[in-house]
Amino acid sequence: MKHTKMTLSTETMNLDFVRKVESLSGSSVRRCFQCGKCTAGCPMRSFMEHPPNRIMRLLQLGQWERILAGRSIWYCASCETCSTRCPNKVDLAAIMDALRKLSWDANGPSKESYVQLANRLFIENIKTYGRQYEMRLGAVFNVKSGQFLKDLLLGPKLLSRGKLKMFHSKNKNITEIENIFNRIEEMRKTVL
Amino acid sequence: MNSTNSKLTYSYYPGCSLHASGKEYDISTRGLFKALKIGLKEVPDWLCCGATPAHNVDELLSLSLCAKNLSLADEVKGDLAVACAACFSRLKTTQHRLADNPEKRKQVEHAIAGSVPEKKVKHLLEILAKDYGLEQLQEAVQKPLSGLKVACYYGCLLTRPPEVPELDCTEAPTIMERVIGATGAETVAWSHRLECCGANFTLSRPGVVLKLSGDILASAKAAGADCLMVACPLCHGNLDIRQKEIEEATGTRYNMPVFYMTQLLALAAGVPAAKLGFDSMMVSPLPLLKEKNLL
Repeated sequence: MKHTKMTLSTETMNLDFVRKVESLSGSSVRRCFQCGKCTAGCPMRSFMEHPPNRIMRLLQLGQWERILAGRSIWYCASCETCSTRCPNKVDLAAIMDALRKLSWDANGPSKESYVQLANRLFIENIKTYGRQYEMRLGAVFNVKSGQFLKDLLLGPKLLSRGKLKMFHSKNKNITEIENIFNRIEEMRKTVL
Repeated sequence: MNSTNSKLTYSYYPGCSLHASGKEYDISTRGLFKALKIGLKEVPDWLCCGATPAHNVDELLSLSLCAKNLSLADEVKGDLAVACAACFSRLKTTQHRLADNPEKRKQVEHAIAGSVPEKKVKHLLEILAKDYGLEQLQEAVQKPLSGLKVACYYGCLLTRPPEVPELDCTEAPTIMERVIGATGAETVAWSHRLECCGANFTLSRPGVVLKLSGDILASAKAAGADCLMVACPLCHGNLDIRQKEIEEATGTRYNMPVFYMTQLLALAAGVPAAKLGFDSMMVSPLPLLKEKNLL
């Protein structure tokens, strides 16, 4: 995919995808004029095969498959440097959020989506407990990602310093929190 | 007791980390505010702000969690004081997004089954520098931190993007230096104070953290800093908890204590060191503080 020749035609350019990104992110894709300032400041560029400005160019050309096939969007740290420095007010951080959402909707978990697995577990914790339960977050992540021994030595050190709680209680208003999740779910089916 | 101080009173949103891995930040914030006679009352039943994962997955969820927190906070008197840079960013982003988007506001209000109040959200730095004031802070110092060279680390979300936190200049902020400078500490000029530490990749891609946080430690060391000062429990986790791994990966010994800003400020304001959670830090700051006669 990465090295194949790019042919621009109505078949390969998915402009509906671009419109979806624009509507989800509330940011224009067309405004990017490739100055490269986003990439110059991006702390994660060395981990990406398509740096931020190239993501923007591919997006302008409707090359959604190339974007979603790669790992770049999963290596965005949401640090907002790109959005802050863009001279044309492209909100690249919001566009990255939109791309992650569309990728998840289209393909589900990809091999690069450890980030999304962590995201999902993080949100599950909110739904179950109301707040983060860091111990559970780390443990379940290791099991689900198959890295059973990851940070094995770190856990006891954190525990002995009182930085991890073995047990966690639920928020008192957990039903209200569940209701928020349920109402959003309902809205998804109708208006969103 | 200064009469103006007692008028300052805030509702307080600690955020999840401050009840677990970042508990030193919570303890020292309470200690500092007590020493400065600023009122602080925790918002009952606050919930997780959703941090980066929520907006990564679903913007509406992220906005709704924060809106719910704002409405809970509205029950407690005073502007909302936020310690964690990430929570601060999410709460402010929510207010910013809802301000000019009635459609989104309607969806959020439906999700939380209530309205979103106009609650003023302030980071601790803002409260100390602007509401309390640097002059008063200087007067409150009982143990000057003179001789301590501090590298103030802002990270990403305290100042970015410019229209959201409105805390200080985005590219060249000085608020942390001004606040800690009031204690007599020396601040160093260094290159990486606004660079990202790798944030929540600490769970999913620790290799990223080792690289980015390693660069930050190297920069602070090159500038001659004795220690780092942070205002975010995620930055602290990456720079303090993972420092040993960074040292192993890079073959460089840093031994660089990473303080929460409130730990240093509270120490200067006369709060006993035993009440500042120094023993919870992975890189012990005790040798450094002893060397500088600060214990």
